[in-house]
Amino acid sequence: MDATVLAIWLLRLLFLGGLYLFLWSVVRVLLRDLRAAAREPGTELGRLVVISSPSAEPAVGASFSLDAVTTLGRDVNATILLDDEFVSGLHAALTYRGRTWYVEDLGSTNGSYVNGSRVEGVAAAAFGDELQLGNVRLRLERPRR
Amino acid sequence: MTAGSRILAGTRIRPRLRGRELGLLTVVAVTVAIGSVSLAATQDLVAGAPPFSGGSFLADQVALVAYLGSLFLAHLVFVLSGRRTDQVLLPTVGLLGGISLLLMERLPQDLVGGLGLGRNQLLWLLASIALMTAIGAIVRSDAWLRLYKYTWAVLGVGLLLLTFALGHDINGQRLALTIGPLTGQPSELLKVILVVFLAGYLSENRPLLMDESTNIGPLRLPPLPYLAPMIAMWAMALSIVVVQGDLGAALLFFAVFLTLLYVATARASFVALGMVAFVAGGFVLYQAVPHVRVRVDIWLDPFVTASTTGYQVVQALHAFARGGILGTGFGAGLPAVGGLPPGGIPALHTDFPFAALGEELGLVGVMGILGLYLVVIERGLRIAASAADDFRAILAAGLSLVIGVQAFIIAAGNLKLIPLTGITLPFISYGGSSLLANGVVMGLLIALSDRGVEPPPAPGRRSGRFRLQDRGAA
Repeated sequence: MDATVLAIWLLRLLFLGGLYLFLWSVVRVLLRDLRAAAREPGTELGRLVVISSPSAEPAVGASFSLDAVTTLGRDVNATILLDDEFVSGLHAALTYRGRTWYVEDLGSTNGSYVNGSRVEGVAAAAFGDELQLGNVRLRLERPRR
Repeated sequence: MTAGSRILAGTRIRPRLRGRELGLLTVVAVTVAIGSVSLAATQDLVAGAPPFSGGSFLADQVALVAYLGSLFLAHLVFVLSGRRTDQVLLPTVGLLGGISLLLMERLPQDLVGGLGLGRNQLLWLLASIALMTAIGAIVRSDAWLRLYKYTWAVLGVGLLLLTFALGHDINGQRLALTIGPLTGQPSELLKVILVVFLAGYLSENRPLLMDESTNIGPLRLPPLPYLAPMIAMWAMALSIVVVQGDLGAALLFFAVFLTLLYVATARASFVALGMVAFVAGGFVLYQAVPHVRVRVDIWLDPFVTASTTGYQVVQALHAFARGGILGTGFGAGLPAVGGLPPGGIPALHTDFPFAALGEELGLVGVMGILGLYLVVIERGLRIAASAADDFRAILAAGLSLVIGVQAFIIAAGNLKLIPLTGITLPFISYGGSSLLANGVVMGLLIALSDRGVEPPPAPGRRSGRFRLQDRGAA
């Protein structure tokens, strides 16, 4: 009789063990999945979200995925077209070097601003910073994974 | 592959092996089988006979084989469908359902009519897994959810009003609705509709909700018209409590709504405002609705009314206490689990399975089960994070959170952490409506996780037009 009670006790623990074995294997799968996602080279390096824009192009709330070099301006050849009368043809460029974003003013008439201060030549920009070109306000956001 | 399925998918379907899913399913099958052996031996011992004298090593061979077979069949269907969908959700749901099956086989079979508790639950579990597999393998486009969100909302409100008018009462709560031969709990279906509607509404109006043009004291709020749905949700939750007496559904809907609002806008002020509205509404309800006052008073001190209204909660606490750390083992809880015969815990199979598991599997067991719900939430948020657009992200987050929040509300209610509300523990509680609705939720989640899925339908134009109209009106 004692042997059967012991056997049943072991079965009970075995069931709980199975439950935790399952959780352990799932966590291993999840960790591998998360590591792979972190290592995966993202197709985008950052995003620009339009906060305010007086014209329909770009629309408020629109989000642009950024490559390593992105130009902004009223010219049709600009990567991101800003249809605003206070924006120059090729107004500014966003470049990703090392691990940082840089804003470069391309000799615009009305200047480029990062968080309200005017960009002289090149200025660094972090995720969450606000850019203003003409009447268009944009926010630099981290890439979506 | 048949010609039909080829036309449906547009391309040739190539089977794709799913090794992780198969491995995890094997662990699930072994674990549930061990549980079944343990249950059979314990039941024989409790009955006073030597173990396995019934001639079988398993508690209910037919049910076990049918259930595990259906899980592997679902796996096979996913392999043949050739989609790159999530491989963790099916085994996780499978283990939850397996624990449910063992528990229902172990409880007194005459708690419900029909084929008895265990066999009824088996049939509902099979139907739920079939639904989940079908949706997960077939659904490739979300346009039917995305484009008709207001239709879904109207359907949901209609269902709610129908329940208000025609529903019949169970234990003083108007929960069940009978249409022709069908009887069900509409709130379970309603929660799916709610998530779909909220995903559509929030993803379309996200920029407007993040605008801060109205100032009330220290709060910066979006334009007031866009707060209307928030107020409507709050009113809906209150009316569910007042008319139906259904605290659980109201709490679930409001919690999911606030969480999704936060997911969509990342604005803490919405959550703060929602909590204030919740506390205000809760206070008024406590004063005005006797049903609510009884529930809160039980929560504050169940031992005062231990033999009347507090009986259920007190017995559940005793059950957790008896379980201790490792539990008494499957089948070894007190005769009706959690109490003296003939009573046990009233509504054990629907509202208190967590207490029964607490007694028989102990602290270690219920921690593991809560871990399974965490896995569902993690997968859902991961699917949301890698979703192609806002609608899919909010939908995936909402679908997994609705399961997680529901599990939390009822588990915490069982533990007297919050006032008890009668909702089901997803995939474990007895009940067809709950199992089928959660099967739909999981199926949609699996369908959403497909990495090779077609891009979201035409972005930009539609929402752009709406945005211009909105600005014109303001």
